[in-house]
Amino acid sequence: MPIRRFGGHRSLVSHSQTPKLSYGYTKMNISRSGYRVFSANSTTACTELAKKITERLGVELGKSVVYQESNSETRVDVKESVRGQDIFIIQTIPRDVNTAIMELLVMAYALKTSCANNIIGVIPYFPYSKQCKMRKRGSIVCKLLASMLAKAGLTHIITMDLHQKEIQGFFSFPVDNLRASPFLIQYIQEEIPDYRNAIIVAKSPSAAKRAQSYAERLRLGLAVMHGEAHHSESDMADGRHSPPLSRTTTGHTGLELPLMMAKEKPPITVVGDVGGRIAIIVDDIIDDVEDFVAAAEILKERGAYKIYIMATHGLLSAEAPRLIEESAIDEVVVTNTVPHEVQKLQCPKIKTVDVSMILAEAIRRIHNGESMAYLFRNIAVDD
Amino acid sequence: MPNIKIFSGSSHPDLSQKIADRLGLELGKVVTKKFSNQETCVEIGESVRGEDVYIVQSGCGEINDNLMELLIMINACKIASASRVTAVIPCFPYARQDKKDKGFFDIPVDNLYAEPAVLKWIKENIPEWKNCIIVSPDAGGAKRVTSIADRLNVDFALIHKERKKANEVDRMVLVGDVTDRVAILVDDMADTCGTICHAADKLISAGATKVYAILTHGIFSGPAISRINNACFEAVVVTNTIPQEEKMKHCPKIQVIDISMILAEAIRRTHNGESVSYLFSHVPL
Repeated sequence: MPIRRFGGHRSLVSHSQTPKLSYGYTKMNISRSGYRVFSANSTTACTELAKKITERLGVELGKSVVYQESNSETRVDVKESVRGQDIFIIQTIPRDVNTAIMELLVMAYALKTSCANNIIGVIPYFPYSKQCKMRKRGSIVCKLLASMLAKAGLTHIITMDLHQKEIQGFFSFPVDNLRASPFLIQYIQEEIPDYRNAIIVAKSPSAAKRAQSYAERLRLGLAVMHGEAHHSESDMADGRHSPPLSRTTTGHTGLELPLMMAKEKPPITVVGDVGGRIAIIVDDIIDDVEDFVAAAEILKERGAYKIYIMATHGLLSAEAPRLIEESAIDEVVVTNTVPHEVQKLQCPKIKTVDVSMILAEAIRRIHNGESMAYLFRNIAVDD
Repeated sequence: MPNIKIFSGSSHPDLSQKIADRLGLELGKVVTKKFSNQETCVEIGESVRGEDVYIVQSGCGEINDNLMELLIMINACKIASASRVTAVIPCFPYARQDKKDKGFFDIPVDNLYAEPAVLKWIKENIPEWKNCIIVSPDAGGAKRVTSIADRLNVDFALIHKERKKANEVDRMVLVGDVTDRVAILVDDMADTCGTICHAADKLISAGATKVYAILTHGIFSGPAISRINNACFEAVVVTNTIPQEEKMKHCPKIQVIDISMILAEAIRRTHNGESVSYLFSHVPL
């Protein structure tokens, strides 16, 4: 009778390499390195979001001190060891943009020189994203900022609703552009009583794609507004027109280039029927509200009985709260990517949607090396 | 001079204008503004294609804003095809957090010295300079002070902090003799002025007749101005690397040395490809 030996099984279990999860446990020396979450903001209003995120993750915010010295130089002190760990720096951008950028750069560099493994910047509202195109002898600040962040040591960025998706191309490392639209859509469905009688409005043709993606997901109609009362920013995108708009006196004589016709500026019109409906204007950033107030006026004239504005980043600079309060707008709904407590006190029409959940989930998945596809499952191509 | 353009950031337009005047040029047209969301926006108003561009921006006031403005201006000039872009940064920010050593930059750095201008001021404004004593408020400035003392052929002294035990306030100890002499404190920068005010008290109690303070960069933040007003200085002299107009209104003891000619001459020499080391020991006219 042949003696049964376990020799045949030996080939299935290799002894030469370290057994990875072979018996259902991980050995200590190959366990995943820990991760820490830091906030590089110096003001408490800005660290609110970081606190919410760390609560959801169930971790403590990393110990660090960030402050401005008396001569307004930024100083960052990291108070714990970060060697070999994945570090997430959460940075919200308040009114003082340049200081916030400097805080982030200084902290990233401090962590890099302290041998952190990966440094992931969580920057929900990415600053200077409106200066991403070449203007007449201007600077593409967004590209400059991307180079600076790479140099300071960041290896990955998580952001939300980038103004232009192409900005991802400025970076030499991965950029995760999360979307706030699922949260805003949920708000519409839960908080606006007869949302089925609403119509999604794009304030200008450039916002039409985004508005359409909302309209599709909510199964509502779409309206687009066109024509500007004043010269808007986006028109100056490329100041060097080819061919030139006006005859320059220093041009070569004899070279008759055909002149481009200047664009006509029609008065504001609404394409689509908003009569007897709730109008929901959708945009990514709400900063200077004059355009929104003018749009709301027109929509009211055309018969909309309620006007909402949904925007991801509520910058609400300068006179915005007062103008909103006095206007025909019923509610402005923004997320908490940008701190706006002061503006909320001045204008009770402003409501906040919390997006810390998706940011926390993104952090957890990136750290565990899991797929992020779940976070993008309901996102349309044009969002 | 052909092919040269000088632009000014918003930190110290006065100094930039002086530099441009000395070079016989107009400042380049540039528009710097902030959007309502406080983002900086820079637009160069003239062609810089193929030009040698100098941007004058000092690290003072709102440092992060000025730094960002400088970076954006440099970037704008580069993508507008400037042939070379040089940043003229009279007061280099964050210098105390890292060393502003040559080895930390990948690009050429010219570190100019205010020393020749300081020596000239001492000879012209302190009548008893031949019998004065140069004092350093801390041990780190000894080299700087001995260099000045040697050139003036006078003695030097220094103050160093002695800490007997932890949690005990540092004792300041004067090394050298200042009795019946005019003492000139020399340091590179003064921020809150705690150190130099203590040093001045020490010198007076050790027998100095008058105390002057000469500092290259007068940052003067926080309680600095009130400290100077309450201290026993004859005069506090700074260079104009940082704008001092406002502070001079609150403190009559502050006097300013103009160093625009050093910067202008450095710009001229760099542009013409000449040696800049002449400026390390001479003040141009």
